[in-house]
Amino acid sequence: MIAGLVQILLFQGLGEVVARFFLPLIPGPVIGLVLMLAWLRVRGAVPPAVDLVATAFSQNLGLLFVPAAVGVVMFWPHIRSHALAVVAALVVSVVATMAVTALVLRAIAKDGEP
Amino acid sequence: MNPQLPAIHEIWVYLSGSPLLALILTLSAYQAGVMVYERFDRNPLANPVAIAIAIVATVITLIDMPYAKYFEGAQFVHFLLGTATVALAVPIYKGLDALRGRIFPLLAALLAGGATSIVSAVGIAKLLGADAAIIGGFYAKSVTAPIAMGVAERINVSPTLTAVFAVTTGILGAILVRFVLDAVGSKAWWQRGFAVGVAAHGIGTSRAFSVHPEAGIYASLGMGLHGVLGAVLIPLAVQFMK
Repeated sequence: MIAGLVQILLFQGLGEVVARFFLPLIPGPVIGLVLMLAWLRVRGAVPPAVDLVATAFSQNLGLLFVPAAVGVVMFWPHIRSHALAVVAALVVSVVATMAVTALVLRAIAKDGEP
Repeated sequence: MNPQLPAIHEIWVYLSGSPLLALILTLSAYQAGVMVYERFDRNPLANPVAIAIAIVATVITLIDMPYAKYFEGAQFVHFLLGTATVALAVPIYKGLDALRGRIFPLLAALLAGGATSIVSAVGIAKLLGADAAIIGGFYAKSVTAPIAMGVAERINVSPTLTAVFAVTTGILGAILVRFVLDAVGSKAWWQRGFAVGVAAHGIGTSRAFSVHPEAGIYASLGMGLHGVLGAVLIPLAVQFMK
């Protein structure tokens, strides 16, 4: 498990370095993700230790953004005074996004039958 | 008072000064959220993250703990977001085979869906008079939360609002997906899965997996591709829209 964590942390570090010096607009961890994806592709398989750690993370991903999201307490009065705009934007946008994505797929994909 | 036995308030002062309290609070609130979620048969309305946020926010308000103080302790959990983002390479890698022969329609649908997500949310919020701080939170809200918060930092908008809007979007997407996709006549599982993954990231993806395995695979692919391409394109789109 530690071996897997070390490999993931190395790619995170590499991503931060690349972001800092070459691609300041892209978050370092995303560059780390892409580099790790390329490495997995070259390797042709996921090392079991990496798989173990990645599975643990993806099963509990939600936990990791609780600390930042709790900051909503500081925005609460602000959100309440714009409640209609926030709710309308969130609901309409997610409905429109799903509908457009599905419609584009159906329009241009050849194998659209279930 | 007995000198060997510290008064309860001293223990309290000690605990609230160390990261332990914030960590216990965060982890137990999340655990409680997961238990409720399981109890309600994984109904998207009982989302464990939303429950955890509500519990922690209520408790720190009740005990008068400033958010900055809470975050000081909880930052150890927060730090792992970056690591978890890198680890997303593994599920994306496993989904790559599903891309074969479908890469063009999938990318076209992703670009259309991603653009719709930003333009519709920002447009409606502006129309209804939301201010710049709120609107900033909408740019990355359809991207998986760990990446969305990284993007938010790069484009100088609030990562907190982005995370809250992302979680809400995921919950709404998971609840509404069936009605929306039936209404537009989407039938193939891979197309339905991809649409919910693009629009409602991780929460939509777990919903897709619970309905059909093929939908789940394509949902995680949609979430992963939206995360990676969004991280590159959203900052550019924001510069363009300003």
